[in-house]
Amino acid sequence: MMLKRNPLISNLVYIPLIAYSILIALPMVWMVSSALKTTREMFSSPFSLPTNPQWGNFVQAWNSGISGYLINSFFITLVSVTVIVMVSAMAAYAFARMKFFGRIPLYLILIAGFAVPVHTTLVPLYRMLNGADLLNTYPGVIGPYVAFGIPFSVLLMFAFFVQFPSEIEDAARIDGCTTWQMVFRIVLPLSLPSMASVAIFQTVLLWNEFSLALIILSDESMRTIPLGLSKFQGQWTTDWPSLLAALTLASIPMLIIFMLLQKQFVNTLGGFSK
Amino acid sequence: MSQNRLSERTVSVLRRVRTDHPARLSWRETRDAYILVAPAVILFAIFVIYPLINTVLLSFYQYGLTDPDIKFVQFDNYIRLFQDPIFWRALRNNGSILVGSVAIQVTIGVVLAAVLSRGIRWGKTFFRTLHFAPIVMSAVAVGVLWQLIYDPGIGILNHTLRGLNIRPPVQGWLGDPNLVMLSILLASAWQYTGYVMTIVLAGMQTVPTEIYEASGLDGANEVQNFFFITLPMSRNVIIAAILITMIGAVKVFDIVYVLTRGGPANASQVLGTYIYYNAFTLNQAGYASAIAVVLLVIALIFGVLQLRFTRQV
Repeated sequence: MMLKRNPLISNLVYIPLIAYSILIALPMVWMVSSALKTTREMFSSPFSLPTNPQWGNFVQAWNSGISGYLINSFFITLVSVTVIVMVSAMAAYAFARMKFFGRIPLYLILIAGFAVPVHTTLVPLYRMLNGADLLNTYPGVIGPYVAFGIPFSVLLMFAFFVQFPSEIEDAARIDGCTTWQMVFRIVLPLSLPSMASVAIFQTVLLWNEFSLALIILSDESMRTIPLGLSKFQGQWTTDWPSLLAALTLASIPMLIIFMLLQKQFVNTLGGFSK
Repeated sequence: MSQNRLSERTVSVLRRVRTDHPARLSWRETRDAYILVAPAVILFAIFVIYPLINTVLLSFYQYGLTDPDIKFVQFDNYIRLFQDPIFWRALRNNGSILVGSVAIQVTIGVVLAAVLSRGIRWGKTFFRTLHFAPIVMSAVAVGVLWQLIYDPGIGILNHTLRGLNIRPPVQGWLGDPNLVMLSILLASAWQYTGYVMTIVLAGMQTVPTEIYEASGLDGANEVQNFFFITLPMSRNVIIAAILITMIGAVKVFDIVYVLTRGGPANASQVLGTYIYYNAFTLNQAGYASAIAVVLLVIALIFGVLQLRFTRQV
């Protein structure tokens, strides 16, 4: 398919492409390299590589709270994503494969939740969680995280279950399986790839979630990574390299997971428009 | 194939009817289905539906965030809304972000996708990975990073401009009311253009290569291919990308909050940040709820558009 290509022209394409790629890469490279400089070096030579790497900046960032934020983010994301995947898979299966009264209206209401911005619910959510003494608690933030993750996850899993071969269900029924045995022993284990897609998508969203965390978690000890970073801002007006080290530490876990699971990421996040 | 399937399904239904009493089975199926959907529906009802109903109801009241007493004021919040220049500016800023994001992100994203899918011989995976990477960073991290890039003192942007003998803006990129929206747009485009590219690239790769081979025999060049084959054949996925970008612009909050808090002097306020500002800074939760209702209506319109244009449902 490249037979008729003029080699000069096809190489010229790389000039704008590489120029654009530098624009994308530069902020990230600057972030990491400045995090390893002294404040003075950061001012005097912003584009050079660090001459004498200041690993102490990372220690400083780690000790100023990042470690705790990472633990909070990790726990909250893990529990929320697990619950979202389980609950959405069960519901999506029922919506796609079973007959019951109110199936279509219930499904449509749930799916419509996909379009609801969290900011339209902040005030009542805050009042509700405040009244229930759930502000600054794990359940108080995991509840809304799960609820806002459900619509899109059900949508994705529904599309998967609609195509699920009915022969397998029929065979299971003939063997005398109950609905529960069929769902939990046969259907869900066979749906792991699609559940993994949902899990990847929700992990990226929740690891980076900010708005709900901002109103629900105000205690220093409860902060997640994005919330912690936003609080560093303005606190560290003199120690820029440590702020950049904190940014690097906060971004690296997702970037590493992305590098490892690159193909799945691109397929999951890129494919959902189809 | 489909007929074969149908007959198999009929057989299975017949089997069920033979082994089980149909009425009893459907009652059991209904009960089981309700149990399966219950956790999702209940969680959704408590944390999304119930707050949404409250947002609409409470938009007719005047109250503070944690006040136990609320005062019914009819349409006062809405009347105030229509007379509030900051509300209109916020709405207009959402509009600017919407138009600007579509113009920047979708244009660059589509061209990049076309180049990656047809135009280059090596490095496709490398470029795709690099351009996608900013998406897995949080908008907060991107915001803090770009705030430092825009910083008049230490930022690399002004450093570069000074090197090129260009005078940077006196009030700073985020301090100048006329530049602040553009600065937010660029930071946001840095993060999300690769996302648009990824979506569109996935669509372009489904265009059969035979079409390009045929057009090659007819002597078409790659630019003609782009306009007459790639673009029309990727129409649906480009529309989907535009809608996703638009919905992102309606929901925008994190990057604006981190970069400017809606400032300077409300110049970069968007609906999301203005709701937050009214409710959590000014303690005018009733007024914030009225703004939230406007945001909800806009978001639902775009949501319906998206469901109609994509094949997801």
